[in-house]
Amino acid sequence: MSGIRLTRWVVAVPMAALALATVYPLVFTTNVAMKTRREYVLDRFSLADSLNWDNIVKAWTSVGMSRYFLNSVIVVAISVALLLLFGSMAGFALARLRFRGSSALFLGILAALFVPFQVIMVPLARIMADTGLMDTYPGLVLAYVAQFLPFTIFLLTSYYATVPPEIVDAARIDGNTVYGVYWRIMLPIGAPALLSVGVLNALFCWNDVLISLLMMPSAEHRTLMVGVTSLRGQYSDDIPTFASGVLIAAVPVLVVYLFLQRQIADGVTAGSTKG
Amino acid sequence: MTAQSLSPARPAPAGPAGGARPAGPSRRNRAGSRAERLAPLVLLAPALLIIVGLRLWPLVLGVNFSFTGDGDRNGMMVGFENYATLFGDPLFRTALRNVGLLVLLLPVAVAIPGLLATFIYLRVPGHRLYRGVYFFPAVLSPVIVGAIFNLLLAFDGPLNKLLGGLGIGPVDWLGDPSVAIFAVVGVHVWATFGMALVVFLAGFATLDSSLLDAAEVDGASLPQTIRHVIVPSLTRTIQFVFVTTMIGMLTSMFGLLYVMTTGGPAGSTYLPEYYIWIQQGQLNQPALASAASTALFLIMLVVGLAQIGILRRSAGKED
Repeated sequence: MSGIRLTRWVVAVPMAALALATVYPLVFTTNVAMKTRREYVLDRFSLADSLNWDNIVKAWTSVGMSRYFLNSVIVVAISVALLLLFGSMAGFALARLRFRGSSALFLGILAALFVPFQVIMVPLARIMADTGLMDTYPGLVLAYVAQFLPFTIFLLTSYYATVPPEIVDAARIDGNTVYGVYWRIMLPIGAPALLSVGVLNALFCWNDVLISLLMMPSAEHRTLMVGVTSLRGQYSDDIPTFASGVLIAAVPVLVVYLFLQRQIADGVTAGSTKG
Repeated sequence: MTAQSLSPARPAPAGPAGGARPAGPSRRNRAGSRAERLAPLVLLAPALLIIVGLRLWPLVLGVNFSFTGDGDRNGMMVGFENYATLFGDPLFRTALRNVGLLVLLLPVAVAIPGLLATFIYLRVPGHRLYRGVYFFPAVLSPVIVGAIFNLLLAFDGPLNKLLGGLGIGPVDWLGDPSVAIFAVVGVHVWATFGMALVVFLAGFATLDSSLLDAAEVDGASLPQTIRHVIVPSLTRTIQFVFVTTMIGMLTSMFGLLYVMTTGGPAGSTYLPEYYIWIQQGQLNQPALASAASTALFLIMLVVGLAQIGILRRSAGKED
Protein backbone atom coordinates (compact mmCIF):
# COMPACT_ATOMS: atom_id res chain seq x y z
CA MET A 1 0.00 0.00 0.00
CA SER A 2 1.50 3.30 -1.01
CA GLY A 3 1.83 6.24 1.33
CA ILE A 4 -0.98 8.18 -0.23
CA ARG A 5 -3.44 5.33 0.01
CA LEU A 6 -2.72 4.72 3.66
CA THR A 7 -3.04 8.42 4.44
CA ARG A 8 -6.48 8.43 2.87
CA TRP A 9 -7.78 6.16 5.58
CA VAL A 10 -5.91 7.91 8.38
CA VAL A 11 -7.39 11.32 7.57
CA ALA A 12 -10.88 9.96 7.02
CA VAL A 13 -11.55 10.06 10.76
CA PRO A 14 -10.70 13.71 11.48
CA MET A 15 -12.46 14.74 8.29
CA ALA A 16 -15.63 13.02 9.37
CA ALA A 17 -15.29 14.68 12.78
CA LEU A 18 -14.94 18.06 11.07
CA ALA A 19 -18.03 17.38 8.99
CA LEU A 20 -19.90 16.74 12.23
CA ALA A 21 -18.52 19.96 13.70
CA THR A 22 -19.78 21.78 10.62
CA VAL A 23 -23.31 20.49 10.94
CA TYR A 24 -23.66 20.30 14.71
CA PRO A 25 -24.10 24.02 15.48
CA LEU A 26 -27.21 24.23 13.35
CA VAL A 27 -28.55 20.93 14.67
CA PHE A 28 -28.03 22.19 18.22
CA THR A 29 -29.82 25.45 17.41
CA THR A 30 -32.74 23.62 15.80
CA ASN A 31 -33.01 21.36 18.81
CA VAL A 32 -32.99 24.32 21.20
CA ALA A 33 -35.68 26.04 19.14
CA MET A 34 -37.89 23.01 19.61
CA LYS A 35 -37.56 23.00 23.40
CA THR A 36 -39.79 24.74 25.87
CA ARG A 37 -38.08 27.25 28.12
CA ARG A 38 -38.33 24.85 31.01
CA GLU A 39 -36.82 21.99 29.03
CA TYR A 40 -33.95 24.24 28.02
CA VAL A 41 -33.17 25.34 31.55
CA LEU A 42 -33.25 21.75 32.82
CA ASP A 43 -31.13 20.25 30.06
CA ARG A 44 -30.09 22.10 26.94
CA PHE A 45 -28.34 19.16 25.32
CA SER A 46 -30.92 16.40 25.35
CA LEU A 47 -33.13 15.89 22.35
CA ALA A 48 -36.30 17.97 22.50
CA ASP A 49 -39.24 15.98 23.87
CA SER A 50 -41.35 16.70 20.85
CA LEU A 51 -41.40 18.92 17.78
CA ASN A 52 -42.70 22.00 19.47
CA TRP A 53 -43.35 24.86 17.03
CA ASP A 54 -44.56 27.36 19.63
CA ASN A 55 -41.25 29.24 19.76
CA ILE A 56 -41.10 29.52 15.98
CA VAL A 57 -44.66 30.85 15.90
CA LYS A 58 -43.85 33.27 18.72
CA ALA A 59 -40.71 34.54 16.99
CA TRP A 60 -42.60 34.91 13.71
CA THR A 61 -45.61 36.72 15.09
CA SER A 62 -45.12 38.53 18.39
CA VAL A 63 -41.39 39.23 18.12
CA GLY A 64 -41.76 40.85 14.71
CA MET A 65 -39.62 38.52 12.64
CA SER A 66 -42.34 38.40 9.97
CA ARG A 67 -42.04 42.15 9.42
CA TYR A 68 -38.23 41.97 9.23
CA PHE A 69 -38.51 38.98 6.91
CA LEU A 70 -40.77 40.88 4.53
CA ASN A 71 -38.46 43.91 4.61
CA SER A 72 -35.53 41.70 3.65
CA VAL A 73 -37.40 39.93 0.87
CA ILE A 74 -38.45 43.21 -0.74
CA VAL A 75 -35.05 44.85 -0.50
CA VAL A 76 -33.16 41.77 -1.69
CA ALA A 77 -35.49 41.13 -4.65
CA ILE A 78 -35.28 44.68 -5.96
CA SER A 79 -31.53 44.93 -5.36
CA VAL A 80 -30.80 41.68 -7.18
CA ALA A 81 -33.03 42.61 -10.14
CA LEU A 82 -31.24 45.95 -10.53
CA LEU A 83 -27.81 44.35 -10.10
CA LEU A 84 -28.52 41.84 -12.85
CA LEU A 85 -29.94 44.47 -15.21
CA PHE A 86 -27.17 47.05 -14.79
CA GLY A 87 -24.50 44.37 -14.50
CA SER A 88 -25.45 42.55 -17.69
CA MET A 89 -25.75 45.81 -19.64
CA ALA A 90 -22.30 46.87 -18.55
CA GLY A 91 -20.83 43.39 -18.92
CA PHE A 92 -22.10 43.07 -22.48
CA ALA A 93 -20.78 46.50 -23.42
CA LEU A 94 -17.37 45.86 -21.89
CA ALA A 95 -16.94 42.37 -23.30
CA ARG A 96 -18.48 42.63 -26.74
CA LEU A 97 -18.58 46.27 -27.88
CA ARG A 98 -15.48 47.99 -29.06
CA PHE A 99 -15.09 51.58 -27.97
CA ARG A 100 -12.32 53.81 -26.83
CA GLY A 101 -11.41 53.49 -23.17
CA SER A 102 -13.13 50.17 -22.58
CA SER A 103 -10.13 48.55 -20.90
CA ALA A 104 -9.58 51.61 -18.75
CA LEU A 105 -13.22 51.49 -17.67
CA PHE A 106 -12.95 47.81 -16.87
CA LEU A 107 -9.91 48.51 -14.73
CA GLY A 108 -11.72 51.34 -12.98
CA ILE A 109 -14.58 49.02 -12.11
CA LEU A 110 -12.12 46.39 -10.87
CA ALA A 111 -10.55 49.06 -8.68
CA ALA A 112 -13.96 49.78 -7.15
CA LEU A 113 -14.02 46.12 -6.09
CA PHE A 114 -11.33 46.96 -3.60
CA VAL A 115 -13.13 49.83 -1.94
CA PRO A 116 -14.76 48.00 0.94
CA PHE A 117 -17.94 49.37 2.43
CA GLN A 118 -16.19 50.13 5.72
CA VAL A 119 -13.97 52.61 3.93
CA ILE A 120 -16.79 54.63 2.38
CA MET A 121 -19.55 54.21 4.95
CA VAL A 122 -19.13 57.56 6.66
CA PRO A 123 -19.33 59.73 3.52
CA LEU A 124 -21.99 57.42 2.05
CA ALA A 125 -24.16 57.96 5.12
CA ARG A 126 -23.77 61.70 4.66
CA ILE A 127 -24.66 61.52 0.95
CA MET A 128 -27.73 59.45 1.77
CA ALA A 129 -28.78 61.87 4.50
CA ASP A 130 -28.26 64.89 2.23
CA THR A 131 -30.38 63.34 -0.52
CA GLY A 132 -33.15 62.25 1.84
CA LEU A 133 -32.47 58.58 1.14
CA MET A 134 -31.38 57.71 4.66
CA ASP A 135 -33.73 55.24 6.36
CA THR A 136 -35.65 54.54 3.13
CA TYR A 137 -35.91 51.37 1.08
CA PRO A 138 -34.63 53.02 -2.11
CA GLY A 139 -31.60 54.20 -0.14
CA LEU A 140 -30.78 50.72 1.12
CA VAL A 141 -31.33 49.22 -2.34
CA LEU A 142 -28.99 51.81 -3.85
CA ALA A 143 -26.38 51.06 -1.21
CA TYR A 144 -26.57 47.34 -1.99
CA VAL A 145 -26.42 47.89 -5.73
CA ALA A 146 -23.41 50.17 -5.33
CA GLN A 147 -21.74 47.65 -3.07
CA PHE A 148 -22.13 44.55 -5.24
CA LEU A 149 -22.20 46.01 -8.76
CA PRO A 150 -18.43 45.93 -9.42
CA PHE A 151 -18.31 42.22 -8.57
CA THR A 152 -21.40 41.57 -10.72
CA ILE A 153 -19.92 43.42 -13.68
CA PHE A 154 -16.62 41.62 -13.31
CA LEU A 155 -18.29 38.23 -13.37
CA LEU A 156 -20.67 38.99 -16.23
CA THR A 157 -17.93 40.61 -18.33
CA SER A 158 -15.83 37.48 -17.92
CA TYR A 159 -18.81 35.37 -18.93
CA TYR A 160 -19.74 37.46 -21.98
CA ALA A 161 -16.11 37.44 -23.10
CA THR A 162 -16.52 33.69 -23.64
CA VAL A 163 -19.53 34.14 -25.96
CA PRO A 164 -18.25 33.69 -29.54
CA PRO A 165 -18.29 37.04 -31.40
CA GLU A 166 -19.84 35.25 -34.40
CA ILE A 167 -23.11 35.02 -32.51
CA VAL A 168 -23.19 38.79 -32.12
CA ASP A 169 -22.20 39.25 -35.78
CA ALA A 170 -24.94 36.95 -36.98
CA ALA A 171 -27.54 38.75 -34.91
CA ARG A 172 -26.36 42.09 -36.29
CA ILE A 173 -26.57 40.83 -39.87
CA ASP A 174 -30.09 39.67 -39.12
CA GLY A 175 -30.89 43.30 -38.48
CA ASN A 176 -30.72 43.64 -34.72
CA THR A 177 -29.59 46.90 -33.16
CA VAL A 178 -27.03 46.78 -30.39
CA TYR A 179 -29.91 46.95 -27.91
CA GLY A 180 -31.69 44.14 -29.73
CA VAL A 181 -28.56 42.01 -29.48
CA TYR A 182 -28.40 42.72 -25.77
CA TRP A 183 -32.06 42.00 -25.12
CA ARG A 184 -32.71 39.10 -27.47
CA ILE A 185 -29.32 37.35 -27.55
CA MET A 186 -27.09 38.31 -24.63
CA LEU A 187 -29.65 38.17 -21.84
CA PRO A 188 -30.86 34.63 -22.71
CA ILE A 189 -27.33 33.40 -23.41
CA GLY A 190 -26.18 34.82 -20.11
CA ALA A 191 -28.82 32.94 -18.11
CA PRO A 192 -26.41 30.53 -16.36
CA ALA A 193 -24.11 33.37 -15.30
CA LEU A 194 -27.06 35.56 -14.32
CA LEU A 195 -28.44 32.77 -12.14
CA SER A 196 -25.09 32.22 -10.48
CA VAL A 197 -24.33 35.87 -9.82
CA GLY A 198 -27.96 36.50 -8.90
CA VAL A 199 -27.98 33.83 -6.22
CA LEU A 200 -24.68 35.05 -4.86
CA ASN A 201 -25.90 38.65 -4.71
CA ALA A 202 -29.11 37.54 -3.05
CA LEU A 203 -27.03 35.81 -0.36
CA PHE A 204 -24.78 38.85 0.09
CA CYS A 205 -27.75 41.19 0.50
CA TRP A 206 -29.75 38.79 2.66
CA ASN A 207 -26.77 38.14 4.95
CA ASP A 208 -25.61 41.73 5.25
CA VAL A 209 -25.79 43.45 8.59
CA LEU A 210 -23.41 46.41 8.48
CA ILE A 211 -24.96 48.23 5.50
CA SER A 212 -28.51 47.86 6.71
CA LEU A 213 -27.54 48.77 10.26
CA LEU A 214 -26.09 52.00 8.94
CA MET A 215 -28.78 52.80 6.38
CA MET A 216 -31.92 51.79 8.30
CA PRO A 217 -31.81 53.18 11.83
CA SER A 218 -35.53 52.95 12.60
CA ALA A 219 -36.92 49.75 14.06
CA GLU A 220 -39.78 49.19 11.61
CA HIS A 221 -37.34 49.29 8.67
CA ARG A 222 -35.05 46.63 10.10
CA THR A 223 -33.92 43.86 7.81
CA LEU A 224 -33.94 40.30 9.05
CA MET A 225 -30.29 40.13 10.10
CA VAL A 226 -30.53 43.36 12.09
CA GLY A 227 -33.70 41.91 13.57
CA VAL A 228 -31.76 38.86 14.73
CA THR A 229 -29.14 41.02 16.44
CA SER A 230 -31.87 42.91 18.26
CA LEU A 231 -33.38 39.62 19.47
CA ARG A 232 -30.23 38.86 21.39
CA GLY A 233 -30.68 41.62 23.89
CA GLN A 234 -34.46 41.23 24.15
CA TYR A 235 -34.59 37.49 24.63
CA SER A 236 -31.41 36.73 26.56
CA ASP A 237 -33.51 34.85 29.12
CA ASP A 238 -35.61 33.04 26.52
CA ILE A 239 -33.03 31.20 24.46
CA PRO A 240 -35.50 28.90 22.64
CA THR A 241 -37.27 31.94 21.15
CA PHE A 242 -33.92 33.47 20.27
CA ALA A 243 -32.86 30.23 18.58
CA SER A 244 -36.15 30.19 16.68
CA GLY A 245 -35.48 33.68 15.33
CA VAL A 246 -32.02 32.56 14.21
CA LEU A 247 -33.55 29.54 12.52
CA ILE A 248 -36.13 31.62 10.65
CA ALA A 249 -33.32 33.75 9.26
CA ALA A 250 -31.21 30.73 8.30
CA VAL A 251 -33.79 28.48 6.67
CA PRO A 252 -34.24 30.41 3.39
CA VAL A 253 -30.47 30.32 2.94
CA LEU A 254 -30.40 26.58 3.61
CA VAL A 255 -33.10 25.96 1.03
CA VAL A 256 -31.27 28.04 -1.58
CA TYR A 257 -28.07 26.18 -0.74
CA LEU A 258 -29.66 22.77 -1.17
CA PHE A 259 -30.87 23.59 -4.66
CA LEU A 260 -28.26 25.98 -6.00
CA GLN A 261 -25.02 24.87 -4.38
CA ARG A 262 -23.24 24.47 -7.72
CA GLN A 263 -24.22 27.94 -8.91
CA ILE A 264 -23.01 29.48 -5.66
CA ALA A 265 -19.70 27.63 -5.95
CA ASP A 266 -19.32 28.78 -9.58
CA GLY A 267 -19.69 32.39 -8.52
CA VAL A 268 -17.26 32.03 -5.63
CA THR A 269 -14.57 30.41 -7.76
CA ALA A 270 -14.87 32.80 -10.71
CA GLY A 271 -11.53 34.38 -11.37
CA SER A 272 -9.58 31.86 -9.36
CA THR A 273 -8.34 29.38 -11.94
CA LYS A 274 -8.24 30.48 -15.54
CA GLY A 275 -5.08 32.26 -16.58
CA MET B 1 -35.41 49.08 -32.66
CA THR B 2 -38.38 48.71 -34.98
CA ALA B 3 -37.15 50.86 -37.86
CA GLN B 4 -33.68 49.40 -37.96
CA SER B 5 -34.76 45.85 -37.67
CA LEU B 6 -36.25 46.00 -41.15
CA SER B 7 -32.89 46.44 -42.80
CA PRO B 8 -29.46 45.08 -41.99
CA ALA B 9 -27.82 47.38 -39.50
CA ARG B 10 -24.55 48.82 -40.59
CA PRO B 11 -22.30 50.23 -37.94
CA ALA B 12 -20.57 53.50 -38.68
CA PRO B 13 -16.93 53.01 -39.71
CA ALA B 14 -15.64 54.16 -36.35
CA GLY B 15 -18.67 52.71 -34.67
CA PRO B 16 -18.67 50.87 -31.43
CA ALA B 17 -20.56 47.79 -32.49
CA GLY B 18 -17.86 45.33 -31.64
CA GLY B 19 -17.40 42.31 -33.82
CA ALA B 20 -20.15 43.27 -36.25
CA ARG B 21 -18.99 43.39 -39.81
CA PRO B 22 -20.54 45.78 -42.31
CA ALA B 23 -23.40 43.97 -43.96
CA GLY B 24 -23.52 45.91 -47.17
CA PRO B 25 -24.35 49.57 -47.62
CA SER B 26 -27.56 50.95 -46.30
CA ARG B 27 -28.80 54.51 -46.48
CA ARG B 28 -31.49 54.21 -43.92
CA ASN B 29 -29.30 53.82 -40.92
CA ARG B 30 -27.77 57.20 -40.41
CA ALA B 31 -29.98 57.99 -37.44
CA GLY B 32 -29.72 54.43 -36.17
CA SER B 33 -25.97 54.43 -36.30
CA ARG B 34 -25.73 57.48 -34.10
CA ALA B 35 -27.91 55.82 -31.51
CA GLU B 36 -25.72 52.79 -31.92
CA ARG B 37 -22.51 54.72 -31.50
CA LEU B 38 -23.82 55.88 -28.17
CA ALA B 39 -24.84 52.35 -27.23
CA PRO B 40 -21.81 51.55 -25.04
CA LEU B 41 -22.37 54.77 -23.15
CA VAL B 42 -26.08 54.08 -22.72
CA LEU B 43 -25.46 50.52 -21.56
CA LEU B 44 -22.75 51.56 -19.14
CA ALA B 45 -24.41 54.72 -17.84
CA PRO B 46 -26.36 53.30 -14.87
CA ALA B 47 -23.40 51.25 -13.67
CA LEU B 48 -20.97 54.13 -14.02
CA LEU B 49 -23.25 56.63 -12.31
CA ILE B 50 -23.73 54.31 -9.34
CA ILE B 51 -20.12 53.21 -9.03
CA VAL B 52 -18.67 56.67 -9.42
CA GLY B 53 -21.33 58.40 -7.32
CA LEU B 54 -21.62 55.91 -4.50
CA ARG B 55 -18.24 54.16 -4.38
CA LEU B 56 -15.47 56.31 -5.80
CA TRP B 57 -16.76 59.78 -4.93
CA PRO B 58 -17.39 58.80 -1.28
CA LEU B 59 -13.81 57.55 -1.15
CA VAL B 60 -12.58 61.02 -2.09
CA LEU B 61 -15.03 62.66 0.30
CA GLY B 62 -13.93 60.35 3.09
CA VAL B 63 -10.24 61.12 2.71
CA ASN B 64 -11.21 64.79 2.76
CA PHE B 65 -13.38 64.34 5.89
CA SER B 66 -10.50 62.74 7.68
CA PHE B 67 -8.67 66.07 7.66
CA THR B 68 -11.61 68.01 9.11
CA GLY B 69 -12.83 68.29 12.68
CA ASP B 70 -15.69 66.70 14.60
CA GLY B 71 -18.39 68.33 16.69
CA ASP B 72 -17.93 72.09 17.03
CA ARG B 73 -15.17 72.07 14.48
CA ASN B 74 -17.28 70.35 11.85
CA GLY B 75 -15.93 71.20 8.40
CA MET B 76 -12.80 72.97 9.65
CA MET B 77 -9.50 71.69 8.34
CA VAL B 78 -7.45 70.26 11.18
CA GLY B 79 -4.57 68.65 9.30
CA PHE B 80 -3.42 65.34 10.67
CA GLU B 81 -5.05 65.82 14.05
CA ASN B 82 -7.52 62.96 13.57
CA TYR B 83 -4.71 60.64 12.65
CA ALA B 84 -2.83 61.64 15.79
CA THR B 85 -5.95 60.96 17.87
CA LEU B 86 -6.43 57.69 16.03
CA PHE B 87 -2.98 56.30 16.64
CA GLY B 88 -3.07 57.54 20.21
CA ASP B 89 -6.33 55.67 20.86
CA PRO B 90 -5.64 52.36 22.62
CA LEU B 91 -8.74 50.84 20.99
CA PHE B 92 -7.47 51.59 17.50
CA ARG B 93 -4.03 50.33 18.44
CA THR B 94 -5.66 47.09 19.60
CA ALA B 95 -7.51 46.96 16.29
CA LEU B 96 -4.22 47.27 14.41
CA ARG B 97 -2.58 44.67 16.61
CA ASN B 98 -5.46 42.33 15.86
CA VAL B 99 -4.93 42.94 12.12
CA GLY B 100 -1.33 41.85 12.66
CA LEU B 101 -2.61 38.74 14.41
CA LEU B 102 -4.89 38.01 11.43
CA VAL B 103 -1.93 38.29 9.08
CA LEU B 104 -0.01 35.81 11.25
CA LEU B 105 -2.96 33.41 11.26
CA LEU B 106 -3.48 33.77 7.51
CA PRO B 107 -1.25 30.82 6.52
CA VAL B 108 -3.24 28.57 8.85
CA ALA B 109 -6.55 29.79 7.42
CA VAL B 110 -5.24 28.98 3.93
CA ALA B 111 -3.56 25.69 4.78
CA ILE B 112 -6.60 24.10 6.42
CA PRO B 113 -8.89 24.29 3.36
CA GLY B 114 -5.92 23.52 1.13
CA LEU B 115 -5.18 20.28 2.95
CA LEU B 116 -8.85 19.31 3.14
CA ALA B 117 -9.25 19.94 -0.60
CA THR B 118 -6.20 17.78 -1.23
CA PHE B 119 -7.72 14.92 0.71
CA ILE B 120 -11.06 15.30 -1.02
CA TYR B 121 -9.26 15.31 -4.35
CA LEU B 122 -7.42 12.15 -3.34
CA ARG B 123 -10.80 10.52 -2.69
CA VAL B 124 -10.74 10.09 1.04
CA PRO B 125 -13.60 7.76 2.00
CA GLY B 126 -16.70 9.94 2.01
CA HIS B 127 -15.19 12.60 -0.24
CA ARG B 128 -18.40 13.02 -2.19
CA LEU B 129 -20.17 14.24 0.91
CA TYR B 130 -17.55 16.58 2.32
CA ARG B 131 -17.57 19.32 -0.27
CA GLY B 132 -21.26 20.02 0.24
CA VAL B 133 -21.05 19.79 4.03
CA TYR B 134 -17.92 21.92 4.47
CA PHE B 135 -19.10 24.62 2.11
CA PHE B 136 -22.44 25.12 3.78
CA PRO B 137 -21.51 27.44 6.71
CA ALA B 138 -19.97 29.79 4.16
CA VAL B 139 -23.41 30.81 2.93
CA LEU B 140 -24.69 31.68 6.40
CA SER B 141 -24.68 35.28 7.56
CA PRO B 142 -22.04 36.19 10.16
CA VAL B 143 -25.01 37.25 12.27
CA ILE B 144 -26.47 33.74 12.21
CA VAL B 145 -23.07 32.17 12.80
CA GLY B 146 -22.30 34.57 15.62
CA ALA B 147 -25.68 34.05 17.25
CA ILE B 148 -25.27 30.27 17.12
CA PHE B 149 -21.76 30.40 18.54
CA ASN B 150 -22.93 32.66 21.32
CA LEU B 151 -24.86 29.64 22.50
CA LEU B 152 -22.12 27.11 21.75
CA LEU B 153 -19.34 29.08 23.41
CA ALA B 154 -21.32 30.03 26.50
CA PHE B 155 -19.46 29.25 29.73
CA ASP B 156 -21.90 26.43 30.41
CA GLY B 157 -22.33 25.64 26.72
CA PRO B 158 -21.70 22.56 24.58
CA LEU B 159 -18.03 23.21 23.79
CA ASN B 160 -17.02 23.50 27.43
CA LYS B 161 -19.09 20.44 28.18
CA LEU B 162 -17.26 18.49 25.49
CA LEU B 163 -13.88 19.70 26.74
CA GLY B 164 -14.93 18.91 30.31
CA GLY B 165 -15.54 15.34 29.20
CA LEU B 166 -11.92 15.26 28.04
CA GLY B 167 -10.75 16.70 31.33
CA ILE B 168 -10.00 20.17 29.97
CA GLY B 169 -11.34 22.90 31.82
CA PRO B 170 -13.97 25.30 31.21
CA VAL B 171 -12.65 28.20 29.15
CA ASP B 172 -14.38 31.58 29.18
CA TRP B 173 -14.25 31.82 25.39
CA LEU B 174 -15.85 35.22 24.94
CA GLY B 175 -15.20 36.68 28.37
CA ASP B 176 -11.43 36.33 28.67
CA PRO B 177 -9.61 39.20 26.91
CA SER B 178 -6.68 37.00 25.94
CA VAL B 179 -8.91 34.28 24.49
CA ALA B 180 -11.83 36.13 22.90
CA ILE B 181 -10.09 37.32 19.72
CA PHE B 182 -8.93 33.77 19.01
CA ALA B 183 -12.44 32.49 19.60
CA VAL B 184 -13.88 35.02 17.14
CA VAL B 185 -11.21 34.33 14.51
CA GLY B 186 -11.75 30.62 15.03
CA VAL B 187 -15.46 31.02 14.38
CA HIS B 188 -14.69 33.11 11.30
CA VAL B 189 -12.43 30.36 9.98
CA TRP B 190 -15.10 27.74 10.78
CA ALA B 191 -17.62 29.79 8.82
CA THR B 192 -15.48 30.53 5.78
CA PHE B 193 -13.03 27.68 5.21
CA GLY B 194 -15.58 26.07 2.88
CA MET B 195 -15.30 29.08 0.58
CA ALA B 196 -11.55 28.58 0.16
CA LEU B 197 -12.06 24.82 -0.08
CA VAL B 198 -14.34 25.21 -3.09
CA VAL B 199 -11.81 27.50 -4.73
CA PHE B 200 -9.07 24.94 -4.13
CA LEU B 201 -11.22 22.17 -5.58
CA ALA B 202 -11.81 24.26 -8.70
CA GLY B 203 -8.02 24.55 -8.93
CA PHE B 204 -7.61 20.80 -8.56
CA ALA B 205 -10.05 20.28 -11.41
CA THR B 206 -7.48 21.92 -13.70
CA LEU B 207 -4.65 19.75 -12.37
CA ASP B 208 -3.09 17.17 -14.65
CA SER B 209 -4.05 13.95 -12.90
CA SER B 210 -1.34 11.92 -14.65
CA LEU B 211 1.23 13.81 -12.55
CA LEU B 212 -0.44 12.53 -9.40
CA ASP B 213 -0.71 9.01 -10.78
CA ALA B 214 2.99 9.10 -11.56
CA ALA B 215 3.77 10.27 -8.03
CA GLU B 216 1.64 7.50 -6.61
CA VAL B 217 3.30 4.85 -8.79
CA ASP B 218 6.70 6.13 -7.69
CA GLY B 219 5.60 5.60 -4.10
CA ALA B 220 5.86 9.29 -3.17
CA SER B 221 4.67 10.11 0.33
CA LEU B 222 1.83 12.56 0.78
CA PRO B 223 4.04 15.48 1.97
CA GLN B 224 6.33 14.86 -1.02
CA THR B 225 3.38 14.83 -3.41
CA ILE B 226 1.99 18.05 -1.96
CA ARG B 227 5.34 19.78 -2.08
CA HIS B 228 6.52 18.70 -5.51
CA VAL B 229 3.34 18.18 -7.49
CA ILE B 230 0.37 19.98 -6.00
CA VAL B 231 1.78 23.27 -4.73
CA PRO B 232 3.72 24.09 -7.94
CA SER B 233 0.64 23.34 -10.09
CA LEU B 234 -1.71 25.43 -8.00
CA THR B 235 0.33 28.60 -7.44
CA ARG B 236 -2.36 30.80 -8.92
CA THR B 237 -5.15 29.29 -6.86
CA ILE B 238 -3.08 29.56 -3.71
CA GLN B 239 -2.39 33.26 -4.38
CA PHE B 240 -6.07 33.86 -5.00
CA VAL B 241 -7.06 32.17 -1.75
CA PHE B 242 -4.45 34.11 0.23
CA VAL B 243 -5.76 37.44 -1.04
CA THR B 244 -9.47 36.68 -0.74
CA THR B 245 -9.04 35.19 2.73
CA MET B 246 -7.17 38.29 3.88
CA ILE B 247 -9.82 40.59 2.46
CA GLY B 248 -12.50 38.47 4.13
CA MET B 249 -10.75 38.78 7.48
CA LEU B 250 -10.45 42.55 7.15
CA THR B 251 -13.95 43.29 5.90
CA SER B 252 -16.42 40.60 6.82
CA MET B 253 -16.00 40.03 10.53
CA PHE B 254 -18.17 42.94 11.58
CA GLY B 255 -21.27 40.75 11.97
CA LEU B 256 -19.41 38.34 14.24
CA LEU B 257 -17.95 41.10 16.40
CA TYR B 258 -21.27 42.89 16.61
CA VAL B 259 -23.12 39.78 17.75
CA MET B 260 -20.46 37.90 19.73
CA THR B 261 -18.33 40.41 21.62
CA THR B 262 -19.26 44.01 20.66
CA GLY B 263 -15.52 44.62 20.63
CA GLY B 264 -15.02 43.41 24.19
CA PRO B 265 -14.04 42.14 26.66
CA ALA B 266 -12.00 45.24 27.50
CA GLY B 267 -11.83 46.22 23.83
CA SER B 268 -9.69 43.18 23.05
CA THR B 269 -11.58 42.11 19.92
CA TYR B 270 -11.62 45.44 18.08
CA LEU B 271 -10.88 45.40 14.37
CA PRO B 272 -10.64 48.52 12.20
CA GLU B 273 -14.10 47.96 10.73
CA TYR B 274 -15.64 47.75 14.18
CA TYR B 275 -13.80 50.87 15.29
CA ILE B 276 -15.14 52.77 12.27
CA TRP B 277 -18.68 51.65 13.05
CA ILE B 278 -18.46 52.70 16.70
CA GLN B 279 -17.02 56.12 15.89
CA GLN B 280 -19.58 56.79 13.17
CA GLY B 281 -22.69 54.99 14.35
CA GLN B 282 -22.43 55.28 18.13
CA LEU B 283 -20.11 58.14 19.02
CA ASN B 284 -20.97 60.44 16.13
CA GLN B 285 -17.38 61.27 15.26
CA PRO B 286 -17.46 60.99 11.47
CA ALA B 287 -14.14 62.74 10.91
CA LEU B 288 -12.28 60.40 13.23
CA ALA B 289 -14.13 57.45 11.67
CA SER B 290 -13.01 58.69 8.25
CA ALA B 291 -9.41 58.72 9.38
CA ALA B 292 -9.80 55.11 10.50
CA SER B 293 -11.45 54.32 7.14
CA THR B 294 -8.54 55.83 5.29
CA ALA B 295 -6.11 53.76 7.35
CA LEU B 296 -8.12 50.62 6.57
CA PHE B 297 -8.15 51.56 2.92
CA LEU B 298 -4.37 51.80 2.85
CA ILE B 299 -4.16 48.32 4.34
CA MET B 300 -6.64 47.05 1.75
CA LEU B 301 -4.81 48.78 -1.09
CA VAL B 302 -1.75 46.66 -0.56
CA VAL B 303 -3.88 43.51 -0.57
CA GLY B 304 -6.04 44.73 -3.45
CA LEU B 305 -3.21 45.65 -5.80
CA ALA B 306 -1.98 42.11 -5.51
CA GLN B 307 -5.39 40.79 -6.44
CA ILE B 308 -6.04 43.07 -9.41
CA GLY B 309 -3.08 41.47 -11.09
CA ILE B 310 -4.59 38.03 -10.54
CA LEU B 311 -8.14 38.90 -11.57
CA ARG B 312 -7.06 40.78 -14.67
CA ARG B 313 -5.37 37.74 -16.09
CA SER B 314 -8.53 35.71 -15.66
CA ALA B 315 -11.12 38.09 -17.06
CA GLY B 316 -10.23 37.46 -20.68
CA LYS B 317 -9.58 41.15 -21.22
CA GLU B 318 -5.90 40.80 -22.02
CA ASP B 319 -6.42 39.87 -25.64
